[in-house]
Amino acid sequence: MLALCVSACSSRQEQAAGGLMDRSQEDPALSGDGRLLAVISPQRGRPTVQLRSLLDGRLLPLPSLKRHQPHSSPSLSWNGRYLALVTQRGRRRLAVVADRLNNRLHPLPLPGGRDPVRVSLSPDARQLALQVADQGRWRVELLDLSDLLEPDRPAGAGLTTPPLEPQ
Amino acid sequence: MSRWLGWIATAGVPLLLLGCRTPQPRPLLELNGLLRQSVNSRRAPDLGQRWLVSLGERGGRERVELIDLTRRRPVTLPGLNRADAQPISASVSADGERLAVVQQRDGRTELLLYRRSVAAVQRLPLDPPGVPRSVSLDGSGRRLAVQVSRDGRWQVDLIRLP
Repeated sequence: MLALCVSACSSRQEQAAGGLMDRSQEDPALSGDGRLLAVISPQRGRPTVQLRSLLDGRLLPLPSLKRHQPHSSPSLSWNGRYLALVTQRGRRRLAVVADRLNNRLHPLPLPGGRDPVRVSLSPDARQLALQVADQGRWRVELLDLSDLLEPDRPAGAGLTTPPLEPQ
Repeated sequence: MSRWLGWIATAGVPLLLLGCRTPQPRPLLELNGLLRQSVNSRRAPDLGQRWLVSLGERGGRERVELIDLTRRRPVTLPGLNRADAQPISASVSADGERLAVVQQRDGRTELLLYRRSVAAVQRLPLDPPGVPRSVSLDGSGRRLAVQVSRDGRWQVDLIRLP
């Protein structure tokens, strides 16, 4: 089922992304470390986010994101702990951040009842950028998520204990 | 003793309630004001660590704009925004050095890599050929995912960059 097709034409172009090749894939988002890829792909006719490990092509479960389609505009933090995207709640669009470590879903309703169109999560998950409509124009607004989420830093960049000295 | 109990009752209860408050996201008001300035509209945001790339429209023309969020000011991108090009999607690496851009020019849609330190634009060919749409760089700027239309179907290509 999984098809990873290698493209050898250019030294730069490594491969076309895998997946069920008969299904369309849109809105790609790489994790900061480049190991995970999120795309929007139809499932039972509904645009749904899919998360794939690029190391082995395995699809990763997203139990907190099985509902509220159509999904759009996925965005991943550095190690892929967090996945931000736009979901549907009734007639409104709602930005959410899924924490894959504990399967929690953080809804981010916007003041003024505005609907988000696109979102982008900073690699460390401290900030979220949202595209919204405001008085007939597109705006980009930033939210500070540092009170809400633990940071997702590159490996080795966090606080670590020093290595043990050899005896 | 009763005075201490009174103090706990008056000060302790609000503090307890404050401690139980659900953490909320906070709008970055100063930066949001900056993002409204100097453009009629702004869309397609993508965040690097301290960098925001987006498409800003001014005077009827859209450009790729990179903003240094720490210094709170736009960064020039010499050679990237051609007068005859219409940007569609942009993504920035975590260090702000590399930008991947999809743009329309001369009736065709092309995928570009821009390196800021050398102000160099490099066209990235797609194989097999297709029409690019939405692009995402990883943090290092060495790996790129791009949505491509081929034979009426959307696919995602991965490209490793030197």
